[in-house]
Amino acid sequence: MAEIVPYGPNARLNVTINGQNGDYPDLVDFEMDDGAVKTVVQEALQSGYIPGIDAVEGANLDDFVVDRFPAADDLPPRLMLRPKTPFGLGRCPSCGYYGFNGVECFDCGYRR
Amino acid sequence: MSLPTVTIVGAGALGSNLAMIGRNLPAKLQVLDFDRVESKNISSQFHTYMGLGKNKVVALQAAMRGLFKVKIEARPVRLVEDNLKEMLGMSSVVIDCTDNYESRALIQRYAEWHGNVQILHCCLSAGGDLARVVWTEHFSPDYEGEGDVATCEDGRNLPFHVQAAALAAQIVQRYLEEGEKFSWQLTPYHVLRIA
Repeated sequence: MAEIVPYGPNARLNVTINGQNGDYPDLVDFEMDDGAVKTVVQEALQSGYIPGIDAVEGANLDDFVVDRFPAADDLPPRLMLRPKTPFGLGRCPSCGYYGFNGVECFDCGYRR
Repeated sequence: MSLPTVTIVGAGALGSNLAMIGRNLPAKLQVLDFDRVESKNISSQFHTYMGLGKNKVVALQAAMRGLFKVKIEARPVRLVEDNLKEMLGMSSVVIDCTDNYESRALIQRYAEWHGNVQILHCCLSAGGDLARVVWTEHFSPDYEGEGDVATCEDGRNLPFHVQAAALAAQIVQRYLEEGEKFSWQLTPYHVLRIA
């Protein structure tokens, strides 16, 4: 008999757009990929399904990011879709320094 | 008992207002910025016409002393690798209010080298309607591609910037007084704890 693995929606999905913020009313799967999150939110925004956020027709979420926070203390697992905040740098895939802006590294000059 | 040092890097829309609102923090305040006050800054930053043309932290120091009789340490320098230790070495908390990639990366690098300094990142979205005030362990940088993005070209977002600065001051106050580290995000009518 196949093992039954507990699996299902377990995370809260919070959305920030146009200076408004709200929680998607249903729980979602924490492992859902970014593209799927954006699709869910885009459709929900169209119908005005997210309390606290005015309906948005055809929202462009291409430049939005999804933060993922596992459960901690009194907070459940959360996905947070939000606009980018500028001047962020990640680790360079070449030198490992926090200098990579997604295109080039300020430290070693690596270019994607 | 000596007070801890809190260093604000960047005296622009967030940093200058944070210095003003955080003036009663139980700490010595040190502020770093190499930039000078321009007339376009007056509408959105805690800088006045009396400081026009001066270095931002020198102008801020004079304003804080003249208006509130509060002493801040002014460091009119650009943060570079060679002065990282000298500028941040005495700090218990560094508040990143920068608006450029290089300074933010240097602060992140410093945090990696020195685990005992606490870094609070303050970030605004380009639209000026989202602020993230996040301790470095909860912080995920966003790749933006090339070029800088202006976050405030006029004074329209001043109330929101002051809100974000006040939130940062509260977060640091809570850390200094209770040792608790919470991270938050802010939209104009909504504040949300994220960690």
